[in-house]
Amino acid sequence: MSIWGAVTKTLGGAKVKKLFMILGMFLSFTLVAAACGSTIEDAADTATDAASDAADAAEEVVEDAMEDDEEDAMEDDAMEEDDAMEEDAMEDDAMAEHLGDGSLGTVVVEAGAEVQIRSLNAISGDVAFLGVPNQRGVEQAVVDYGPIKGFNVTSGQGLDDLCSADGGQAAAQQIVADEQIVGVIGTSCSGAATAAAPLISAAGMVMISGSNTSPALTSDQQGNAGPDYHVGYYRTAHNDLFQGAAMAEFVFTSLGLTTAAAIHDGDPYTEGLANAFANAFEELGGTVTTVTGVAKEDTDMVPVLTEIAAGSPEALFFPIFQPAGDFVADQAPSVPGLENTTLLAADGLLNDGFMGLAQSEGMHFSGPDTRFGTNTNESTGVSAEEFLATYEANNGEAPAAPFWGHSYDAAAMLLDAIDAASWVDGDGNLNIDRQGVRDHLNGIQGYSGLIGTINCDDFGDCGSQKITVILHNDSGDIPGSLENVVFEYAPQ
Amino acid sequence: MTTAVRAKGAPRTGVDWFLLVMRVGLIAFIVIGLLGFVAQQIDPTNAWATWRHGDEGAARLSWAQFQGLVVTGLSQGAMYGLIALGYSMVYGVLGFINFAHGEVFMIAAFTGFIMSTKFDQAGWWDSGAFIPAMLFTIVVATIVATIVAVVMERVAYRPLRGSPRLIPLITSIGVSFFLQNAVILLFGPGAKGYAPFPDWLDKDRINIWQIGESDTGVPEYLLSVENKKLLVIVVAAISMAGLWYFVERTKTGKAMRAVAEDKEIASLMGIDVDRTIVTTFAVGGAMAGIAGILWGILFKSVIATTGFLPGIKAFTAAVVGGVGNLGGAMAGGVSLGGAEALAPLMVLDPWGIEGPSQLRDAVVFTLLILVLLVKPTGLFGERLSSEDRA
Amino acid sequence: MSDTTDKGTPILEFRNINTHYGAVHILKDVNLAIYPGEMVSLLGGNASGKSTTLKTLLGMVTPTTGEVVLDGEVVNDKPTSYRVERGITMVPENRRLFKRLSVLENLQLGAYLRNDKAGIAEDLERIYTMFPRVKERANQKSGTLSGGEQQMVAMGRALMSRPRVLLMDEPSMGLAPMLVQTNFELIQQIHQEGIAIFMVEQNANMALSIADRGWVLQTGKVVLDDTAENLLANPELRKSYLGEA
Repeated sequence: MSIWGAVTKTLGGAKVKKLFMILGMFLSFTLVAAACGSTIEDAADTATDAASDAADAAEEVVEDAMEDDEEDAMEDDAMEEDDAMEEDAMEDDAMAEHLGDGSLGTVVVEAGAEVQIRSLNAISGDVAFLGVPNQRGVEQAVVDYGPIKGFNVTSGQGLDDLCSADGGQAAAQQIVADEQIVGVIGTSCSGAATAAAPLISAAGMVMISGSNTSPALTSDQQGNAGPDYHVGYYRTAHNDLFQGAAMAEFVFTSLGLTTAAAIHDGDPYTEGLANAFANAFEELGGTVTTVTGVAKEDTDMVPVLTEIAAGSPEALFFPIFQPAGDFVADQAPSVPGLENTTLLAADGLLNDGFMGLAQSEGMHFSGPDTRFGTNTNESTGVSAEEFLATYEANNGEAPAAPFWGHSYDAAAMLLDAIDAASWVDGDGNLNIDRQGVRDHLNGIQGYSGLIGTINCDDFGDCGSQKITVILHNDSGDIPGSLENVVFEYAPQ
Repeated sequence: MTTAVRAKGAPRTGVDWFLLVMRVGLIAFIVIGLLGFVAQQIDPTNAWATWRHGDEGAARLSWAQFQGLVVTGLSQGAMYGLIALGYSMVYGVLGFINFAHGEVFMIAAFTGFIMSTKFDQAGWWDSGAFIPAMLFTIVVATIVATIVAVVMERVAYRPLRGSPRLIPLITSIGVSFFLQNAVILLFGPGAKGYAPFPDWLDKDRINIWQIGESDTGVPEYLLSVENKKLLVIVVAAISMAGLWYFVERTKTGKAMRAVAEDKEIASLMGIDVDRTIVTTFAVGGAMAGIAGILWGILFKSVIATTGFLPGIKAFTAAVVGGVGNLGGAMAGGVSLGGAEALAPLMVLDPWGIEGPSQLRDAVVFTLLILVLLVKPTGLFGERLSSEDRA
Repeated sequence: MSDTTDKGTPILEFRNINTHYGAVHILKDVNLAIYPGEMVSLLGGNASGKSTTLKTLLGMVTPTTGEVVLDGEVVNDKPTSYRVERGITMVPENRRLFKRLSVLENLQLGAYLRNDKAGIAEDLERIYTMFPRVKERANQKSGTLSGGEQQMVAMGRALMSRPRVLLMDEPSMGLAPMLVQTNFELIQQIHQEGIAIFMVEQNANMALSIADRGWVLQTGKVVLDDTAENLLANPELRKSYLGEA
């Protein structure tokens, strides 16, 4: 009898076998899922691509329809002659003053009711430091903006994206179920956005994120939509292709290092940024030794760091979050081969929690240029300095992460768009044309916001795209480090 | 389990074939991976390596790096082992898996955080008083963990004594959520950092016998261990030895094993079964408490969900070692920690799998399946007859 | 053989005991008394309440009404350990050794409530002399022993608590016929050391042949209470328990 026969024989019992079968299936599923995770995503991407193609087609029709507006108007005139109803004419006149063609429907806000927008940010868990200032930025913008055509605006109860696809999806389902909602400011995390954007888009709403930066959510900046792009998605945060390029240029040119490695945690934001960095670094002529991943819950980073150390990189870029980032920064110097490696992180760790740790000293951080100074939002007339003063007065603390300005501008832009796409009808109700809101956002050029000049491209990228790299020398003086800009980057 | 074996000459069913393929496939995958690792250590651009990794071949690990992996695996595994003991003991005595055990571990780590911050504020932490402060912290955290475990037994499990095993099992999941959320309520959801440990513990290493220098001029040693990891391994080993002595050699330990086997007869011997069960929870809690502090020393930070993953892995370790068997729990923990640290680079990387470290959790559960496929009772588990475990 | 006319105070006594498992009435007004040094036997078929009687005596089951009296003290609410400390123990049905513990550990657990190290060592020696086979296997796991050896360990374990009354639950159950005889000889040997024996048996013939007195339990009621000789002679008993027509 073969060894395998003997091994089989030692197993026995129907129950045990059943258990094994289940375990076996579980295992194969795990392995398949782990190995082919990207394949599954690809399949999903194809599906969403198809969806966005369809949406694009719809948009074209809309544009055609807009061109036909004049003809319509003429027809209307003819009808007026037939049975002259003055009220109709008045309504038509009023409607002619707003953007949009009604193709996505209208939101009717009854007299006395409030215009509904929502904040969807990571306000609990590890990433709350990022989401909470975003939400407060939205709330402050709503207050500063004031009423639209006499209608008050509310951002309602702040929703939580949990910084995960699950959280984003659940919150988006809750949002699209409420037909009164015009748009959403959020999400905080790109991972949540990939799940929320398709739902928001399909419901005809808009979504403007102040801190999503994954290239997949908009475009590759070469005119190709990202796999997770959906019509109606916009962001005032930068596209990480710029951040990756900025970091790569800093490492290669300013630091003069030629080998580098990168770590992501499987999140679209981190993976997108790590890859953007790696690609840009290789384009510059550097060598990327390893691009690898950790699990978000990992604490013992020695194995992954050893994997990286085997390639002996001079720089290690880990654009991940806390707490995983804490452990990478802490353990890297103790791994043989990484003793002298330069550690670099991105805006995911550019916060008080991480920068307050001793192990973060000496690290470089890339992030959006947050030197907003006296930049003023043109819609509210509030400057960044004024905003910060109000923020501290209201919350008793300075914002812990830099995207409050982006969220503030995002909210102001949405409110502008609502203003442009709405009219008050004969019953005193505010009508908001959903397509009009999108039309307005699509057309934003040269808008001046807290974060600088905002131009929206065809795929919803509206950010100023200015990136800075700072050197963090003292965990006791974080504001000082934030001012310590060692490299600036702005796309041509 | 029953001892039924497929009758001689009976046709293999689909399940038999499936299991056979699983076993052969898994073992072949591991063996080929290990061989590939040895080959790429000798020649990083051998045919296999260039096939799996592309023309520039695989990366070679230095001796120091390999050592680092082994040490980190051991220290992680020692912690899993300590936690696994609690799972195993409670299972042995009450026959259910106490899923809230991971939270006991987390609470100990939290206690360590609180103590370290308090001592730091008092100025003891970075002064000469560090060692007594640390010892005191260990003692307090262990006591807190013990109390949590005992209260948990009293409040949540004792009223359920005698009900079907599924009931306390589900209750334990509830207790787990309760404790996690209680901690979130008290301390918030964010990660809490320990006060920084002195460099001699946190950063320094014990180096024995220099054997050369790396390309970048860093000296390499035959043996080089970080002090904190050495401390973790030593403390874990002492705790395990202490527990072994307690269970095998003391009267209470014997009573515990007797209760685990037959509560009715144990009470006939005059053993107070309830008290023995409490003792079991207390001892398991103390072990988790020590593990919690060791966690704090290694990672210097704790969050309300800290107990979850180590808890699950320790439970896996207990099953791998043979649940109910204390030596097995320790061995299971160490082998799990070792596999988790080594397998990504020694098995998965030679296969050319991208980002192998992301698959650490998959490694753990694959190991579990492999052990169950080859030896269903776990590495050191005894075959139980059906009359023992109905 | 003990004197049946003057037996002093009973060590253990049931006074009008009624026991219920839920709604099921198991023991009905049972009265029993076990006197020092005697050997008595409780006979009964399946589900007659024999095991419940033993459990009630040991405090593993609490009676609904009536009194369990130990040395003149009502011990209804006292735990098993209290009664074991006062000299009652049992050799359970099927021996129920701690199979994963060594033989020596099993014996040591028998003396769990005792703290006199010297006395324990002495008793251990006594048991080793009584059962040389047990000594040979002292460090072996008891689960690896043969049925006969396990019976010896079970008795040894019971004796380690220095009992005054030894309850035996179906001592011949599961033993080969040859061993049953040896086993009863062992019981007699223990009895001769002055330990009272309360034996629950289905094998009425064997049990009565060594006992002084006996009770017959039927569906929870004591239907016969007599000397062993009389019981053996009782035609009804012979018919129902000894298989005679």
